[in-house]
Formats: sequence, C-alpha cells, structure tokens
Amino acid sequence: MNNEGNKDMAHRQHVKYFMRFLNILPSSLSSHDTTRVTIAYFSVAGLDVLGSISAISLDLRSRIIEWLYRLQVHPDKETGDMSLCGFQGSSTINIRLDPDNNQFRCGHLAMTYTGLCILLALGDDLSRINRTALIQGVKALQTDEGNFSATLSGCESDMRFVYCAACISYILNDWSGFDIEKATDYVIKSIGYDYGIAQCPELESHGGTTFCALATLALTDQLDKLSEAQIDGLKRWLVYRQIDGFQGRPNKPVDTCYSFWVGASLKILNALQLTNYGSNRRYVYETQDMVVGGFSKWPDTCTDPMHTYLGLSGLSLIGESGLLEIEPRLNITKRAYEHLKCLHEQWVS
Amino acid sequence: MSDCGDSDVLWIPYKERPEWSDVTPVPEDDGPNPVVVIAHSEKFEDVYDYFRAVLQSNEKSERVLHLTKDALELNPANYTVWQYRRDLLKHLNTDLRTELDYVEAVIKNSPKNYQVWHHRRVLVEWLQDPTMELELTGDALLQDPKNYHAWQHRQWAIKTFGLYEKELDFVDNLITDDVRNNSAWNQRYFVVNNNLGWSDLICQQEVCYTLEKINFVKNNESAWNYLRGLLIHDKRGLSGNAVITSFCEELYKNKCRSPFLLAFIIDVCEDAIKKKDTNCFHNADRAVELCQALATRYDKIRSKYWNYLCERYKKYQSEQLSNDNKTNDLIIDE
Repeated sequence: MNNEGNKDMAHRQHVKYFMRFLNILPSSLSSHDTTRVTIAYFSVAGLDVLGSISAISLDLRSRIIEWLYRLQVHPDKETGDMSLCGFQGSSTINIRLDPDNNQFRCGHLAMTYTGLCILLALGDDLSRINRTALIQGVKALQTDEGNFSATLSGCESDMRFVYCAACISYILNDWSGFDIEKATDYVIKSIGYDYGIAQCPELESHGGTTFCALATLALTDQLDKLSEAQIDGLKRWLVYRQIDGFQGRPNKPVDTCYSFWVGASLKILNALQLTNYGSNRRYVYETQDMVVGGFSKWPDTCTDPMHTYLGLSGLSLIGESGLLEIEPRLNITKRAYEHLKCLHEQWVS
Repeated sequence: MSDCGDSDVLWIPYKERPEWSDVTPVPEDDGPNPVVVIAHSEKFEDVYDYFRAVLQSNEKSERVLHLTKDALELNPANYTVWQYRRDLLKHLNTDLRTELDYVEAVIKNSPKNYQVWHHRRVLVEWLQDPTMELELTGDALLQDPKNYHAWQHRQWAIKTFGLYEKELDFVDNLITDDVRNNSAWNQRYFVVNNNLGWSDLICQQEVCYTLEKINFVKNNESAWNYLRGLLIHDKRGLSGNAVITSFCEELYKNKCRSPFLLAFIIDVCEDAIKKKDTNCFHNADRAVELCQALATRYDKIRSKYWNYLCERYKKYQSEQLSNDNKTNDLIIDE
C-alpha cells in the first residue's frame, strides 16, 4: 500500500467497507460473537459520519432495527424483575431459560449503549424501548465503589461501563438508575499523579479511560468538580499524547483510535484547538486503506471497523471536510444527536 | 489448550458423539433477517448448539464442564460460558487448583482478554490464595511489559493480599530494562503510595532515584511525570525543593533543552508565582521565555499549547508590573 497517495478521503471505499460489515463477516471474527452489536454500531455510525446513512437502504435499515429489538431483554414475565434488562450483544444466548438460570440471558451495558446509538442514527423513535426497564437494568449494575459492571453476573467493573451507563441514562433522559455523586467520586479517585485518568483508582492513566471519565463528567454536568489544577493537568497530559497522531499512554506507539479518544477528551475540555491538526490528520491518513477502504491502528496493518470509525470521527473533530460533525460526549453525529433532542422534547410533553 | 482437538482431523462433532445422543442441539435463533452475521465454522455451530441445549436444560455435569472448554477455545471472550463454567465448578466441587492451571494456559494464549483475567480473579478470591499471582502476571509482563490487564490483576492481588514486599525490586528491574516503561513508573507510585508512604525520607529517596533516571535519559516523560507526582507529597511544593531546582538549572546550564525539562521549570515558575515567592530563576518572565522557546524551537508540535500558556504568564507579568508601579506610586506619595 502506498501511503504517499493517502492524503485524501477514500470516501466511496469506506462506505463499501462498512456495508460489507453490516452484511456478513468471516469466521475469523468468531471471537466477536457476543459483541456483534458493537460491530453494527461502528458500521452504522461510520456511515453516518461519512454523511452516507442513506447508503443503507430502507429495507436494510428496518432489518437492523428489527434485529436490535430482538436483542432487548424485557422484564421477567412472572416476577416483573428488571435487573437483567438491556441489550444483548448477539443472539448466542437469546433463548428461553428456566427461572433457575434466567440470569444468563441479560443485557450488557456496552451493547445497550451502542444499540441505542444505532437506533438514533437510523432515525428510530425508541418507542419500542422499555425505558423504565433499561434504567432499572443500569441501576442494578452500579457497584458500591461507584463504577458499573457490564452485566449482572460474571463481569468485571470499570470506567468503560461507567461511561456506557452515563450514555444510556443521558439518551433515555432518566438518571434514576445512576448515582451521579458516587460515579463522580469514582472518576476523581481514578485521576493519576500525572493527571490522566485510569480504568480504576491507582492504575496507569490511559487515553481511552480518560475519555470515558471526562465524557461521564460532561454528561452528568459534573466537570466543575474538577479543580483548576486537575483541569490544567488533564490538558497537559492530553496534549502530550500527540506525537504526530496520538498515543494512548506516555511512551507507547501512536494509534489511530486515540485521535478520537484523546481528541474528544480535549474537545470536552474546550482545548482541542491547542493541538496540531495537520500532523494528526496526516497520521490518520497514513493508516487508510485506499483500495478496499477502512483504517487501521498503524500504517500498513489490518483495518477493522473500530479503527475505521474512530479514525473518521477523530478527523471529524478537527473539521475534516466531507464528514458530519460529531457530538463528542456520546460519540454519535450531531445529526443523530439532534434527533435525540427531538425525542427528549416529545417525552417531556 | 483444550484436550480435545486443536487438530480438526481428530474432531468428532457433538452431534455424532453417542454419549451426547440424549441431548437435542439448540440452534441459534437470530431472527428472520439478521445483520452482521458471522459465518461461523461448523465446529463453532456444533459446540454452541450443544452449549445452548445444556444451558436450557440447566445440566450441571462433567461432560458439560468439558463442553465449556471447547466453547471457550472457540471464543474465549464469551462471558456467559465463563460464568456457567464457574457455576459448574462450584456445583461439581471441582478441584480449583487444576482450574488455575487451565486458566493460566488460556491467559498465555489470550493475555489481553478481559474475561480470562476476571475468571482468574474469581478463582483466587474463592481460594483466598494469591501465591501464584505475582509469577503469573510477571510472566505476562515479560511478554508485554505494558499489558494493562496484567497490571490491573497484579495491583488487585497486591492490594487485596498485601504482597508489597518485593514489588519495588520488581519495578526497579523493569525500569532498568526500559526506563521509558510508564506502567512500571506507575507501579512504583502505587507501591510507595500504599506501602512505604510519603515520609520526608522516602520522598528524598524517590527524588534521588528519579533524578538519576532523568540524568540517564532526559527526554523521558514518564520519569518527569513521576517527579512531579511525588512532589504532590512534598509540603514545600514544586518550587521549594532545592535539590530538584538546582538539578534542573544545572541541566539547563549544560544546554539540555528537553521539552520536559523546560515544562518542569515552567511549572516551578507557576508554583513560585502563585506562592508570591518568585526569584531570579523562577518568575513570570522566565515562564514566558520558556513557553516561547518551546513553541518556536523545542516542542513545535505543541506550539499552540505553549502559546496558550504563554498568554497566562504574560498576564502575570503585567500584573506584576502594575503592582510594582503601585508600590512605586506609594513610595513617591510618601
């Protein structure tokens, strides 16, 4: 692949790239079997940021929507229990189970969040979402520490799922399942000595988890809980991540996805303009596959939908032409966000 | 990893195994019009059809324990299978030591998988025995010294079971191997913060250690960040530690222009300004000069950032100037 020619957007190829992922995937992706909703999210959100949501035919749109709604876990018919509610990531365990082991069919916060994002991008009105149940599902997953587990049984809890829970609560406009004070406390405790933010307290600061933490504070309107020193320190830590593109941690290699994670964090702090757009842009384009579409983390390596979407949304943050604007807190387009705001107004009235 | 067939030649599908003839497989029901369909192998479908069947019948037996192994080999990220396996281990009263060996093997193959580390953690909690954890994570960190999962598990084990004793040596070895290993510097902070405490003596020792590492490689963000971090615990603040400030001035005098050195001196200036304790080295003028040097010469990629900070110090300059004038006015009035 000759990267010299990669300075322009291979728009048409990226559209085709995402369309392929929406249809059928090779067996080598079997380890993504339980998280197919996230692949659908990267593809749909990717088409959206490319301004090409209309490339998805009306028929395919309704297929995606129907497929998603089949993955919604509803309240227990007998007991009315809602603690398992949310979206599953695939139909692998989408089977009828006895009350004894009913807990195995449960929502997963990352799938609920990305599922909702897909529905918004496709213009669905969320009328078939059981909002109360999803919020009860979120509520059941917050730990004493203030963070969230991904699922009710057998999953780790960390900053990623704090973010997913905040997005779900924001999208459904209902914070009754999310203890903001506890979550804010968890975020503040996870700020490191270098002012970056980690997956959990005392772990190494990381670009991805810093995004999750800052976006959570922004969505919950708690950014004012950061001290001046913490804001200054965060800005410094974040702008230091730029080498040409961005790295996720000090002394680690640059990776396309951090053009979004770090870029959006800076955008939330109103400081993205302090970075070098030209170098950032050049790096991301070096990881573009001009022939079959897609972006990879490093030049001349395998592309994947996640790096493709995050590469594009990272470029959108710095105003790349031909891309729709991104709402950095939710990681959806402004177009999808406007649709959400209309829904919020309808729900209130 | 699994005792039944990495080699597909020897693989017998569950649907052809007589000992499973009593079970009716349950195919995946992905609805009439699925999207993002993974074209799974026949083996994958066979194994998961039988997993769904036993989940539905809630069968808890040795053969199911074995089935979960096959299912996890095909997809180690399936958290439901892991959770069912844990239920099986409890129900069957399985020897958890052999399970530790098994998950260790899986970790070696998939060291960046959330589910396997979670499984490990639950087992260690059940056994209340962390004796293998430092070695296990040590091995993973030998492969990749910045593996986030391994560090997370290690910190958890150390904190939960108080395993701090030899950790500083471990960290020191990693920093000696690669002085830029930011994960190792973070672990150093973790050990001092939780175990040694930030007494004056420890602070002093850590300052010496860090300055030595900076002397070795000056352009190393990790060490400079650690230095700034440990000074959070020094009552005198960033600008009050003469050992550090004179070390920095010495580097500067010897023509070192590492952006991290210049940034550190700027921070010292800021601290001095805020404490109204400026001197000939640390004041708003110096901060302005250094920001300009970074923006135009030594850290051009962040020129906008340094210019932005520069504006802040220019404000301090003019405040200082007007304060000086006021003082002069007062003197004249008198």
